[in-house]
Amino acid sequence: MKKWLAMLLCAVLVCSLFSVAQATEKKVLRVATWDATTTAYLDATKAAFEASHPDITIEYVDLPAGTEYIVKLTAMLTAGDTVDVFDVKEVANMPALLEMGAMENLDAYIQASGFATDKYAGMDKCYTDAAGSYYALPFRNDFWLLYYNKDLFDKAGVAYPTNDMTWDQYADLARKMTSGTEGVDKVYGTHYHTWRSAVANWAVCDGVNTLIDGEYSDLKYFYDLAQKLEDEGVCRTYNDLKASGLNYRGGFEAGDIAMLPMGTWLISTLIADRDKGEVKFNEFGLATIPHAEGVPVGSTFGSPTGAAINVNSAQKDLAWEFISWRSGAEGAKAHASVGTIPAYVSEDVAEVVAAVKGFPGDAGSKAALLPTAVYLEVPVDPHASEIRTIVDEETNNIMSRAVTVDEGIANMNERAAEVLGE
Amino acid sequence: MTASPAAKRKPGKLTRRNTWIAYSFLAPNFLGFFCFTLIPVLFSVALAFLTWNGGSMSRITFAGFGNFATIFKNFNFAKTDLGITLRNTVYYTFFTVPLTIALALALALALNRAGRGAKALRAVFFFPYVSSIVAICMCWRFMMMKTGLINQALAVVGISVNASWTQDKNLAIWSIILVSMWRNAGYYMVMYLAGLQGVPAELYEAATMDGANGWQKFWKVTFPMLTPTTFFVSVMMVINCFKIYDMVAIMTEGGPGRATKMLVNYIYDMSFVSPKYGVASAVAMVLFAIVLTVTVIQFRAEKKWVNYM
Repeated sequence: MKKWLAMLLCAVLVCSLFSVAQATEKKVLRVATWDATTTAYLDATKAAFEASHPDITIEYVDLPAGTEYIVKLTAMLTAGDTVDVFDVKEVANMPALLEMGAMENLDAYIQASGFATDKYAGMDKCYTDAAGSYYALPFRNDFWLLYYNKDLFDKAGVAYPTNDMTWDQYADLARKMTSGTEGVDKVYGTHYHTWRSAVANWAVCDGVNTLIDGEYSDLKYFYDLAQKLEDEGVCRTYNDLKASGLNYRGGFEAGDIAMLPMGTWLISTLIADRDKGEVKFNEFGLATIPHAEGVPVGSTFGSPTGAAINVNSAQKDLAWEFISWRSGAEGAKAHASVGTIPAYVSEDVAEVVAAVKGFPGDAGSKAALLPTAVYLEVPVDPHASEIRTIVDEETNNIMSRAVTVDEGIANMNERAAEVLGE
Repeated sequence: MTASPAAKRKPGKLTRRNTWIAYSFLAPNFLGFFCFTLIPVLFSVALAFLTWNGGSMSRITFAGFGNFATIFKNFNFAKTDLGITLRNTVYYTFFTVPLTIALALALALALNRAGRGAKALRAVFFFPYVSSIVAICMCWRFMMMKTGLINQALAVVGISVNASWTQDKNLAIWSIILVSMWRNAGYYMVMYLAGLQGVPAELYEAATMDGANGWQKFWKVTFPMLTPTTFFVSVMMVINCFKIYDMVAIMTEGGPGRATKMLVNYIYDMSFVSPKYGVASAVAMVLFAIVLTVTVIQFRAEKKWVNYM
């Protein structure tokens, strides 16, 4: 009896070895990214790529989201991890990654394959070094929009936000939409997530100011506006949001926020969450971000997302196959099919995104997908990372009311001068 | 020279064998220490004088004292990252150490008795120390919200706090001090309980005979007899306070602004966010120098107030 059992076990073991051996015949390409299990476009691009490349399997390496992403990635790459491809979450990380020498130079691949780099409205230039060599390719290009809850506007009998509002008009609209009592039937006119980008980055939409120019008085209007709206009870306060850790996605989906300035990445998430029944209202709409006086209508800011090949990858050709596909026309289609804006510019991308099931049907929302100008949230610069930390810390200082707006801006100017003067 | 003949004699076979056996018992532990503590520490010392901004180790270059120049560069030291984080860390340590010692000692005195109730309470007060620090900090963060439990409780006794503790520039660091006290008092209470077991009953008997009251007994007998414990506890706590990182990262992220950013948070930002391992190591050396100095001073002062029977 024992003998039989032993033989049976051996047979099972041998069989399992055999099956593993068979499975590994497919080439596995490891791609470091974030929120791998909850991001619709990652599933869509994986499925489409594997369909056209049956011999390759994409395996996502899920790193933490938010600002922790680059921390974890840097540690991984410095430790010599052999992940094949990694996503460059923010262009502001490019200088540090270049300095690390973590990315494979792509010039030879681009030349050999005749890859067209002129399809990205200039965003590809974010991924070159000072000499103009490519080290990554953009595949996503997000910009900021104004989301709104159509149910709340219908209920209040107020006209939807339009694509040509100024910030003052937006503030008035937010006031008009605010009603009810806290904890009972409160409706907030708008919502500022606790990021610096959601509160004050709007100053760069004029195309003149940038976050690393060392002069921050241009942000004053936006801090003042956000604080005024907080004081009037039009939006939740920064302090409450920080202390409770409320996520903008959950907040908006709960249905008590009328408007939300946020990046285009939320479109696909909202659509997916609504299918899952997690959105507590029927329809959302999109409008272009309001503009400041004297700034052209339809200007916004944004940031591309790119992918690079790890210098330590053992299968760089395969990695190139994936990143060039992902950034090209095919990849663009896969991204657009779930409502994500690809970096690859083609006329029908907006059409494809607008045709996604669950995308708002009105003309205004469709038009909001075509901003007139998109400026970089944070420009690519060797000091970008340090300056961003400073602006983030002082934004935190200002919005938590530890210092006045003027003091905070003076701090920014002073601290930035120190970094820039190095 | 009057060395004893025994010391001059070559060690015998047995002694040698015993020595080797001793080494072999020490080896596993030392190997771990060597690989995961000693080498990294030495590497960190070296890095303080090198430039390494991530990537393969072949990119390391010599920096001399450049990293130290970077962190000390500004004349207005109090406004640099190092100055601010250093001030925050010292402030935190200055209040946390005595307050925690007082709380731990009070708990130990109150619970230094037999009986099931005292035993259960000891376990209750020790519990925070063995709980997950992340869970603890999240719970406290919620309790310290503007409309949270703490502010509600304070309102009952007539103190109105109209802010979230972790978001207020003055309260934020106190939120960390209080949670740290609450978490660690139980651990140091156990040390004091052990110390109290060592106080001979005769001393109390003698004091009673001399007509000492409870207060006098505490100051003349208990406290002096506990000074070795207090010394040990204060040395350990000062070192631990300078090393604070986790609570800040979870409760305030160093905010508002840089109001609660500590030395180790600064080291973390420099090494893993920036990444500038050389500069971060230079800050770590500064931290090491401070902790070493404070500890040496504590040991020097030991003779003046610590009472060994």
